[in-house]
Amino acid sequence: MSDGQGPIRVMVVDDHPMWRDAVARDLAESGFDVVATAGDGEQAVRRAQAAAPDVLVLDLNLPAKPGVQVCKELVGFNPALRVLVLSASGEHADVLEAVKSGATGYLLKSASTDELIDAVRRTAVGDPVFTPGLAGLVLGEYRRLASDPGPATGGDEPRAPQLTDRETEVLRLVAKGLSYKQIAERLVISHRTVQNHVQNTLGKLQLHNRVELVRYAIERGLDDA
Amino acid sequence: MAKRERVMRMSVEQPLWRALTAYRVLTMFYAIGLFATHYGSFVRPEVAIGYYLVLIAWTFATLPRVANAASCTKRFLAADLTIALTGILLTPVADAHDRIVDGGPTLPSIWTAGSVLAFAIKGGWRWAAFASALVGVANVLQRGALSQDTLHNVLLVWVASIAIGYVVEVARASERTLARALEIEAATRERERLARDIHDGVLQVLAMVQRRGSALGGDAADLGRLAGEQEVALRTLVSGGLVPVSRVSEDEAEGALVRAVDEPDPDEGGPCDLRSLLAPYATAKVTFSAPGTPVPLDPAAAKELAAAVGAALDNVHRHVGADARAWILVEDEPDEVIVTVRDDGPGIPEGRLAQAEGEGRLGVALSIRGRLREIGGSAELISVPGQGTEVELKVPKTDMTNVKDPKGPRGKAEQR
Repeated sequence: MSDGQGPIRVMVVDDHPMWRDAVARDLAESGFDVVATAGDGEQAVRRAQAAAPDVLVLDLNLPAKPGVQVCKELVGFNPALRVLVLSASGEHADVLEAVKSGATGYLLKSASTDELIDAVRRTAVGDPVFTPGLAGLVLGEYRRLASDPGPATGGDEPRAPQLTDRETEVLRLVAKGLSYKQIAERLVISHRTVQNHVQNTLGKLQLHNRVELVRYAIERGLDDA
Repeated sequence: MAKRERVMRMSVEQPLWRALTAYRVLTMFYAIGLFATHYGSFVRPEVAIGYYLVLIAWTFATLPRVANAASCTKRFLAADLTIALTGILLTPVADAHDRIVDGGPTLPSIWTAGSVLAFAIKGGWRWAAFASALVGVANVLQRGALSQDTLHNVLLVWVASIAIGYVVEVARASERTLARALEIEAATRERERLARDIHDGVLQVLAMVQRRGSALGGDAADLGRLAGEQEVALRTLVSGGLVPVSRVSEDEAEGALVRAVDEPDPDEGGPCDLRSLLAPYATAKVTFSAPGTPVPLDPAAAKELAAAVGAALDNVHRHVGADARAWILVEDEPDEVIVTVRDDGPGIPEGRLAQAEGEGRLGVALSIRGRLREIGGSAELISVPGQGTEVELKVPKTDMTNVKDPKGPRGKAEQR
C-alpha cells in the first residue's frame, strides 16, 4: 500500500524525548513521513488512531500504558498497521508478548541508523525484521508450547502451533546470525522463500495467540457480555 | 495492605476462636444435662439452678466476645474465669458431700476448660498456666483435700492448656514471619521494577551515545564504541531476569523462611539455568540468543558446556581476528540442549578440516570435543565457505533436568 504512492507514514513512540527526536529526524532525513510522535502509551493509542501511520516504531517501556498493550490495541484496531519494536533492554517476556500480539519487527536500540532505516522500510512492506535474539526466543517459544500440556479440556482444543522442518531450519540460521541472503544461498532457495518462512513462524504464533485469547474469552463468558 | 488481609484470613487463630465458641455452648448444655440426670442427689438444687441460669445468660451474652482476639478483652477473661471458679466453689453448697468425695463433677464441669482455653488462645502459654492454676486451686478447695484424683485432673488441665497456649504462640509467630516474607517479596518486586526503569533509561542513553558517536566519527566514534560495549554488558545483565533473585522465600504454608541468596548453590544439586552462564559472553561483537524460559542443565554439565563455548569463542578470536563477529544460540530440545557458536570468518575450505585433523592441528576443536565427551555430549564442526564456521555442541539431558517435562520424547516427535 505504501510502496509506490508517496512516502511511508511512520509514527515514533518513545518516552525519551532525546531518543524520540533523534529517531524521528533520522527517519525524516531518509525520506519517511513522520506523521506523529508520542511520549506515553495512552498518547500513542490516541494519536495513532488519528494519524493512521503505516509503521509504528514502538518502545516497549512506556509510561501510562505498557508498549505491549499499545501494540495489542492498535493492531486490533487496524490489522494493517505494521509495528516495529525498538527496545533498549530486550526484556524477553515483553518482546515475545509484543511479537505475539502483532509486532512484525524487533530491533535493539543499539542498532545503527542504517539498520533502523532498513528495518522500518522492510517492516512497511510486511517483511519480518528479526534479530538473532528474537529468533532464539521464538524457537524457544515453539518448543515451550509443544511441551506444555496446556489446559486439559476436550479434544477440540487448538493444537500447539508447530514449525515445519524447513521453518525450524530457517529460524535456526537466523538465530545464528546469518542474513536472509546467506540463508537463501545455504538452503538453495530464493530470498523471498526465506522471508516467507520467517513470516510464517511469526504468523502461526500470532494466530495461536488470537485463538487462545478467543478461547479464554469464551471460557470466561466474555462473549455474551 | 491487601497482603496483610490475606494473611489474616489464612490465620490459624480464627478457627481456634470458632472452636472455642462452639465448645462453650456445647459444654454448657453438657453441664446442665449432668445436673438434670442427677437432680435427686443434689442437696440444694435451687443453688445449682440459679447458677445455671447465670451460666446460660453469660455464655450466650458473651458469644461475640470469643469471636476473635480483639473482642476477647482482659476484663471478659477475668469475669469468665470468675464465673467458672464461682461454679466450682458453689459445688459443695449445692451437691451432696459424698458425691464430691467420690469425684463427681463440679457445677460448670468441663465448661471451665473453655475459660482456660480462652486464656490460652488470647495470651499464650503463660496466661493459660495462670488460669489453669487458679482452676486447680479452686478444684482442690471444693474437694476439701488433695486427693490423687484431683491432682491428676488438675495436672491434665494444666498441661493441656499450656500446650495449646504454646501452639497458639508458635502459630502467631509463623504468621508474622509469613506476613513479613510477603512484604519483603512485594518490596523486592517493586525495587526490581524500579531498577528495570532506571536500567532502561541508562541503556537508552548509552545506545544514543553510541549512535551519535559513530555518526560524528573521530574521537566521538571511540566514545560511541565504549558506550556500545557498556550497553551490551548492562543489557545482558538486566534482560530476561538473568540476574538471580536476591531473596527467596520458602514454604509459605509453614510460616515462610526468607533467606538471602548470593548465587545458585551448586551443592544444592538442582539444575542450573544454562543461559545465566552463557549470557556473560555477549559483547558488542558476540550476540547471544536463547529461549525466554530457563534452560535447566545439570550444574557440572552446564559448567563444562560454558567452558567449551568460551574455548570456541577464543578460537574465533585467534583465527578470525579480534574484530570477528560471533553468535551463540542456545536451544532447549526435549532430550538435549544444543549450543551453537558461529563466526563470520571465511570458513574452512572442504578437505582442509580432515587434513588439519590428520596433522593433529585441531587442538582447540579436540579439547572442546573432549570436554563435551566428558559430560556425555558431542561437538561438531560445520563450515560453509563464505558463511563462517559453526561449532555445534550437544548435551543430552539427564533425568534430573527432564523432570519438568515428563513427556519430552513425545513433544519432540510432535515437533519434528
